[in-house]
Amino acid sequence: MSYISLDGVSKQYGAAWAVDRVAMAIEKTEFVSLLGPSGSGKTTLLRIIAGLEKPTNGRVLIGGEDVTDLPPHKRGVAMVFQEFLLFPHRTVRENLAFPLRMLKLPKTEMDERIDWVLGILSLRGLEGRYPNQLSGGQQQRVALGRGLVGRPKALLLDEPLANLDRELRQEMEVEIRKHQTALGIPFIYVTHNQEEALSMSDRIAVVRNGRIEDFAPRAEIYDRPKTAFIAQFVGRSNRFVGVLKREGATAAIDAGAVALATADRPGLKDGAPVAAYVKNEKIRLRTPETLHAVGANALAATVKHVILRGPYAEYVLTWAAGEMIASRPRAEVEFSAGDAVVAHWDPADVDVFPEKEAAA
Amino acid sequence: MRFRPGKIALIATVVVSYLFLYLPIVHIGLASLSRNSSFPYPPHWSFATMSRLLGNSLYQTALGNSLLLGVLVATLSTALAGAATIGLMRHAGRKTTLFLALFIAPLFVAEVLLGISSLIFSGLFLGLQGNLGSAVLANVVHCFSYALLIMATQLYRYDWRLDDAAMVFGATPARTFFEVTLPLIWPGLLGAFIVTFIMAFNNLEISFYLLGATPTLPSVAWGALRYGVKPELYALATCVNLVVLCVLAVMFVLMRTGLATFGHRPERERAAV
Repeated sequence: MSYISLDGVSKQYGAAWAVDRVAMAIEKTEFVSLLGPSGSGKTTLLRIIAGLEKPTNGRVLIGGEDVTDLPPHKRGVAMVFQEFLLFPHRTVRENLAFPLRMLKLPKTEMDERIDWVLGILSLRGLEGRYPNQLSGGQQQRVALGRGLVGRPKALLLDEPLANLDRELRQEMEVEIRKHQTALGIPFIYVTHNQEEALSMSDRIAVVRNGRIEDFAPRAEIYDRPKTAFIAQFVGRSNRFVGVLKREGATAAIDAGAVALATADRPGLKDGAPVAAYVKNEKIRLRTPETLHAVGANALAATVKHVILRGPYAEYVLTWAAGEMIASRPRAEVEFSAGDAVVAHWDPADVDVFPEKEAAA
Repeated sequence: MRFRPGKIALIATVVVSYLFLYLPIVHIGLASLSRNSSFPYPPHWSFATMSRLLGNSLYQTALGNSLLLGVLVATLSTALAGAATIGLMRHAGRKTTLFLALFIAPLFVAEVLLGISSLIFSGLFLGLQGNLGSAVLANVVHCFSYALLIMATQLYRYDWRLDDAAMVFGATPARTFFEVTLPLIWPGLLGAFIVTFIMAFNNLEISFYLLGATPTLPSVAWGALRYGVKPELYALATCVNLVVLCVLAVMFVLMRTGLATFGHRPERERAAV
């Protein structure tokens, strides 16, 4: 029995289904991300778990108890909001004490808990400040502390890092995951940022149009996308459109100027229109002298721009049918703009989906 | 650049505007505090009319009734309008504008009409005789709309998701209201209370029809008119104006310092992010 279960949860707004028959099972020590574009229903799903929205259909179970009809204050979960939503008329200390007062904890235990949170989130010295006297990063820490201080059954996080700058965000990612591991409670993290989802999660649920597209360990989501949407949304990929040709144990895609070889796709018919995705970092580059053949999974291109990303470089390439991007570690051979190259990749790195789905 | 016509014109306009607004009130104030009350320039200071006013038991009863009417109307209309405003803002939807329009429509009904129709309605359907109770009810109709407008302008800045946060952290809806919502919206409620109090306290048109034989300050003052304008009336007007000005001053100071101390300004919080 999993710790948190969603059983056919749906939410209807007018004629539209914001959340559509979602079933999920989350374990007690898991960090789960709900990853999806804005408007995909991921925040609504989180609010349903918190009790702030009532599902039209379906059940929500937390710790084996059916909480579908329980109001938020009886569910024992906590939440960290994108806009922090600290109580502006309360000091940092009073904000942190709020969940404890609601639990009616004795004074000594309240002080202990607040002290613990101030310590682990490096907030000592800020107890007497009001939220509007704090920086964004400090407000974020207080919001996280308010979520942790009551030792909730689960912590729900709604894009908590979206308002922070990049460096602070990466710092907080590490910290949030650290606290989750230490507390041993499930964190459910809503984000549209694939990097955040990939850096912290055990499992990722990709949400699209109110439905769970796939719910799998993060490496699986990244390495073996189950749908064209996931292939497009997670990671950065080059897309080729063509016609599938099945040849025994392998398949080939005739994409006009280039042919792609891949493992056989039994689910797809011979001659079906398909879209193939190859991740940027799976594209390798060679000089034309060392790799002549322009056979399957290889094409001749010219480097147009080089975007330096520190440890790796992104090469924007032009080839017969347009542009593509290859990102390579800088430890390898470096190319510069104007160089002629051959781009090539492994058949195993080609993800193929029916084109109709990819176009949607 | 000593002579700047634009600036002089601006100052003159401001001065003339304020004179237009306050000269009649100042005139009555001077008249009530001098012996030569019909033309107090220069005033010969005297408290004679004031003490005559204070000795008049009719005026004292009227003052008591007016205060009672004001407090009851202000309490009722602030509570009702508060509930209506919170409902409208918390559950905003496509029909919010319609509901808002229907709530503030009584503002545009002439007060005399409201008075007459309330009188007939109270008598025919509620079986209420003209007394303080029916006057309170009729005034609440009018003051409710004002209170709603005042609170709506204050409350639109309130972030209702703070209530979500409070509830997720274990607060019941009632506790959420008293611990989070009320401490942040009280300036709006207080403003509505004070303004509706003053409106009900000063009201003649609506109250006149519904009070029956109960005297209030405006109705007594109006009745006194028939026997000629007496200096006591000047004194009465001055006292009422002083009270109103004091209340407004308190409100002004509270709003200013209250906001500065509690610092609930959503725009400032967002700027800090």
